[in-house]
Amino acid sequence: MKSIANLSPDLSSDYLSPEMSRRRFLGVSGMLVLGACLPVRGALAQAKAAAAFEPNLFLAIDGDGTVRVTAHRSEMGQGIRTALAQVVADELDADWSRVEVIQAEGDEKYGNQNTDGSVSILLNYDRLRATGASARLMLRQAAASRWDVDVESVSAVNHEVIHAATGRRLDYGELAADAAQLPVPEDAPRKNEAEHRYIGKPVVHVDAGDIARGQGVFGADYRLPNMATAVVVRCPWLGGGVKAIANQPKGEPGLISIETLPPAPSAGPVFAPLGGVAVVAEDTWTAIRIARGLQIEWTDSPNRSFDSEALCRSLREAVMQPGTPVPGSGKGDVDAAFAEGGTEVSAVYETAFLAHAPMEPPVAVADVSESGCVVHAPLQDPQSARGLIAGYLGMDPGSVAVTPTLLGGAFGRKSKPDFALEAVELSKRLKRPVRVQWLREDDIRHDFYHAAAAQHHRAVLDDDGKPKAWLQRSAFPSITTVFAAQASAPAPFELEQGFSNLPYAVENQRMESAGLRPGVRIGWLRSVCNVFHGFSANVFADEMAAAVGRDPIEHRLAMIPASGKLQQPGMPAPEGHELDFGRLREVIKRVRKLAEWDRPRPEGVGLGFAVHQSFRSYVATVLEASMANGRPRVSNAYVALDCGTYVNPDTCVAQMEGAVAFGLSLALYGDIGMKDGAVVQSNFHDYPILRIAEAPTTQVELVPAQGRLPAGVGEPGVPPVAPALVNALHAATGTRHRSLPIRA
Amino acid sequence: MVYELNVNGNGQSVDVSPDTPLLWVLRDHIGLTGTKYGCGGGYCGACTVHVDGSAVRSCQLPVADLEGKSISTIESLEARHPELVGTWVADNVAQCGYCQAGQLMSAAALLDANPAPTDQDIDAAMTGNICRCGTYARIRAAIHDAASQRNAGGASE
Repeated sequence: MKSIANLSPDLSSDYLSPEMSRRRFLGVSGMLVLGACLPVRGALAQAKAAAAFEPNLFLAIDGDGTVRVTAHRSEMGQGIRTALAQVVADELDADWSRVEVIQAEGDEKYGNQNTDGSVSILLNYDRLRATGASARLMLRQAAASRWDVDVESVSAVNHEVIHAATGRRLDYGELAADAAQLPVPEDAPRKNEAEHRYIGKPVVHVDAGDIARGQGVFGADYRLPNMATAVVVRCPWLGGGVKAIANQPKGEPGLISIETLPPAPSAGPVFAPLGGVAVVAEDTWTAIRIARGLQIEWTDSPNRSFDSEALCRSLREAVMQPGTPVPGSGKGDVDAAFAEGGTEVSAVYETAFLAHAPMEPPVAVADVSESGCVVHAPLQDPQSARGLIAGYLGMDPGSVAVTPTLLGGAFGRKSKPDFALEAVELSKRLKRPVRVQWLREDDIRHDFYHAAAAQHHRAVLDDDGKPKAWLQRSAFPSITTVFAAQASAPAPFELEQGFSNLPYAVENQRMESAGLRPGVRIGWLRSVCNVFHGFSANVFADEMAAAVGRDPIEHRLAMIPASGKLQQPGMPAPEGHELDFGRLREVIKRVRKLAEWDRPRPEGVGLGFAVHQSFRSYVATVLEASMANGRPRVSNAYVALDCGTYVNPDTCVAQMEGAVAFGLSLALYGDIGMKDGAVVQSNFHDYPILRIAEAPTTQVELVPAQGRLPAGVGEPGVPPVAPALVNALHAATGTRHRSLPIRA
Repeated sequence: MVYELNVNGNGQSVDVSPDTPLLWVLRDHIGLTGTKYGCGGGYCGACTVHVDGSAVRSCQLPVADLEGKSISTIESLEARHPELVGTWVADNVAQCGYCQAGQLMSAAALLDANPAPTDQDIDAAMTGNICRCGTYARIRAAIHDAASQRNAGGASE
């Protein structure tokens, strides 16, 4: 008998499996509005009684035919709970209205649960198809055995197994118990493309109905009996601790306790809480009110002198000096080519620190008892959080249960469970369930910030405007600074995000980098270093085209090899995921057509183009922009996306729409500054997010999957947005903005 | 202090300090968690509810000012605006969904005042509601769709 575990193959071999059926693109029209019917409410947190048939970790079928798909990735708006269920339900040939989605706890048995890096479909597409296909075969076998007919004579369609010759049929629920007695087949046949009923089709998200009725359970909504609520006042600078509380409150109605939490070291243990003073109360408002009135004296830390303006100045200076060459990146003789002369283009680009600012600020509920710990929180990686919590409490991980709620936005912030650890510590001390609620001010001032950065690009062009030689330099505080006290240099994984892997044919090329230690925590934010690298490279390419008076898209196509794959320095991309010049050219050509690039726009309205490959996907973006009342105004956005094989095309479109808004927010407003170690901004009045009147109409074109490997969707739409805006404003006004946010 | 409130047509008695914002009364004391905390400063609109029919930021309203007023929240929206809830689902508007209760309450107040809003009307009415996921274009579309359904339904009666 084949063990159940064999249905969950090792990820390292599984996710590169090239076995993908070809399927054609289906338009977004005719969306299946079925998700709303799903009885998923409340299913996030619960583990139900044993099912009649549970062929593996991800699928269970009850005696009444209810199909339960376990989602082991966290839902933050990217539609993953829906997409995972679509894959299983399709291969199972289930009736979508009888599918429930259960949220998994963090547990190694599921494999990778780190919902990060736009890899959920990539990592799980094959194994979940296998899950559904195996169960479907077992249901057919169970029916064939009951009817004493050959298994090849029965088919499984829409929740029923049918024996066509006699017209007999049985619901999946009626077969579940029998199927459970059978060995799990090793190579169950999978559907071909034409047979797919959910994969590749637009399906409304399973949580859409709950959300529209105010019934979705986010971290902030989770409740336990006898739960207290804590608001934590944290030191304005990293690493400071509590010296004294000048006005220790006493006898306030609703106040339970004032707790001093020790400060975390500024580097490693990485995701430890920051420390501070926790006000624990019976209700949130009491905690907020008392926390706001506290007068706390903090101890010093070396980070107290941190100043973001000084850091940005240093980054600017760093890119004007030789840096550390990217290993394996040197090509030709850049200095000799510069000495030869020609049209030279040279520029420095700058981008600011950014905060994630998910609409739901960090929040977590913990219940620590002597026998174990239960946590419900909006966490991107419940499995690593579980390990950290177990270590923190000195408990066996088996005694720690961490279940993700819906995440009210995350963008990378909720991959760090520092806020959950705060709740764990307080629950342990108070011996009752505690919810830690971050205020918006806490969120903006105590984030893991997206790094400020500077790049210098310098090129000398031939008569066609193609670079004969190109010098690139990038300087930024590395994410590795939160992991190691001495780290400062950008890591290869950061440079491979749109810096050391530019897709342009250049004979003489040099890439250098430099890093600086910041006085704040650095973290990954949607698209990470692709944000600033994609920005500078795309604006610089536009500047090269402008220098020789060429059309930006024609010029770009001329710089990209006609076919083949990028041989990048450093780690080679996994097979099937290499940067493919043909696919890059294809999204460029598609967006040119979609935007009607050659159609003249009115005076004062410009088109800007950018293209970027990241998270294994290709995105080309054109923005139509002008200046209105002294501010940039974007009227239309056009996006072409090639993400290989996709599950839910409507989700892909939504993610591109959202990426345009996210990119415009950072381009127009994204600016976090630090003075005397403290973050200057505090809420949406001084850290604005794009609002509806500023949001353009976005048209999205998806490249047909063509049997290609699945790639990322959540992140790759962001990098081309800011440079497309800068390039559009240049086309509209002649002014070139080289730093973000744009200060028009 | 004990306050008698009218929430979604039901009488609710809560014992809280007079400065407690309606947001936290709803969430912590009445158990209606559909209304969200986003900023506490009236900037983001996640906490939008209706008081006497107007869309307001519940994080800015002390409970002491609310006795005798009619308060309605996302939990009661579908009864009054089934088209909005329906189009919000059918158009797959939400991404993370955290801001959507506030978006829906602002949209409902708009449709109450203006049964056939233009894009400009929508932008003006919805400008106080931030969506970090960037679902704005779908919000516009869903409001238009709901308005059409509502108006078509009214015409056929």
